[in-house]
Amino acid sequence: MNKIADVVVVGGGIIGCSVAYCLAKKGVKIIVVEKKEGLSFGASGANQGGCALQIFESPVLELARESLKLYKNLSEEIGYDIEYENVGSLVCSVDEKQFSDMEKHVQNKRREGINVRLIEGDELRRLEPTLGKNVIVGVEEWHSCTVNPFKVNYGFAYVAKKLGTEFLFSTQVKKIETDKDKITFVITDREKIKTNFVVNCTGAWASEIGKMLGLTLPIRARRGQIIVTEPVPLNERWRYILDADYLTTAFNLEAVEKSKDPRIKLGVAGSYIQENSGNWTIGSSRDFAGYNSRITMQTIRYIAKRVIRFMPKLKDISCIRTFAGLRPFCYVDGLPILSKINNPQNFVIATGHAGEGISLAPITGKLISELITESRTSLSIDAFSFSRFKKYNLN
Amino acid sequence: MGRKVNNTICRCEEITEQETRDAIRKFNLRTVDEVKRLTRAGMGLCQGRTCGPLIEKIISEETNKKISEIFPSNKRPPVRPIKIGLLAKEEKKES
Repeated sequence: MNKIADVVVVGGGIIGCSVAYCLAKKGVKIIVVEKKEGLSFGASGANQGGCALQIFESPVLELARESLKLYKNLSEEIGYDIEYENVGSLVCSVDEKQFSDMEKHVQNKRREGINVRLIEGDELRRLEPTLGKNVIVGVEEWHSCTVNPFKVNYGFAYVAKKLGTEFLFSTQVKKIETDKDKITFVITDREKIKTNFVVNCTGAWASEIGKMLGLTLPIRARRGQIIVTEPVPLNERWRYILDADYLTTAFNLEAVEKSKDPRIKLGVAGSYIQENSGNWTIGSSRDFAGYNSRITMQTIRYIAKRVIRFMPKLKDISCIRTFAGLRPFCYVDGLPILSKINNPQNFVIATGHAGEGISLAPITGKLISELITESRTSLSIDAFSFSRFKKYNLN
Repeated sequence: MGRKVNNTICRCEEITEQETRDAIRKFNLRTVDEVKRLTRAGMGLCQGRTCGPLIEKIISEETNKKISEIFPSNKRPPVRPIKIGLLAKEEKKES
């Protein structure tokens, strides 16, 4: 069956649906192609829903800042409650040697205009009795939020659909046809779609779509594992607590690979979020295991061990579920790819958000929609361009 | 939309039949996982052991499909709740 669309968005995760939502608001006719039977079946459905401002460094920081602003009013904007909560964040350490790093972190963040405060061990415990005596220092900040990632994903899709976007589920892109330097058709296992633009929002699978056009997208699936607990009474002050190790393991691949510590090698650094319901999600890890999205006992054990160092009381509560997901990680520099390319000139890439796709989804949709309809963007995305890989021999 | 159906579907998370039907209709859901993610039904202590089959039946009614055509929920470990402290324990070498 033949179809026509201004834009084909490949991938029904939070990025694809944010792009579809922003384009649909501008009156663009979109078809979203999703290989699974519903939305959020990749990394968008296997995360903790946290958006912590203080973990970002420039140039991603500029994106994160705008994205958090967009989240603030998103429930009203789309008429659906995404469970936005301005919970702030606390990055803390159980390692004496990290004390000076944390002081440096505070200076850096203040220079970037983020209002952070350093708090030492005893004061931390007074404010938050759940924290254990191992925690020596923490840095708090109150811009950060949590959202329900499913509701964001489905909320975007719901409005996009109302505005005319068509969703094709259980449909896989098989081939992308070009004429000279332009894409003309997207061929799926069910239909042929004539289109003016293709946006690759397939997350960890982005390189597969790239291959159809003879392109090497330096994206690898980085697995993350997470534990969910039964609900317990809410923490008094901080419900979004990050291990200082997160600042390195999440972003600095070299540090992970060079480390001799087996925990760091598996990328295990704490990210602990207590949902409004009282359940904790305890993350997380980062390793490369192809497209295997199952948990491993070894990693789950490291994650459990680590959380007890920060919050010893959690050892007596029950894990009710574990899960893993595959994040799109750019193995060249760890940065997202938000870019048009030269050939084919109507191919747009929006992936590589690694573990921060939820945080960055609203701004990504906005910028990609601008890139398509206005050819210029309200924030610079030069740092995320595909042309930055020219100097590397990716093949 | 007719009369409200207040039967509890998921006892752990206290989700009613009406809430699940509303979510299915609003978002055209076709899988148990999606219903779970948007309503929390099946996210509680028993992890959908009771409500999973009920949700399959509701989806089948709403979408006019056979139950055998409905994607069941992903089953994720552990089978029973287990204390975090126990998860953290080193594995004993098995003989």
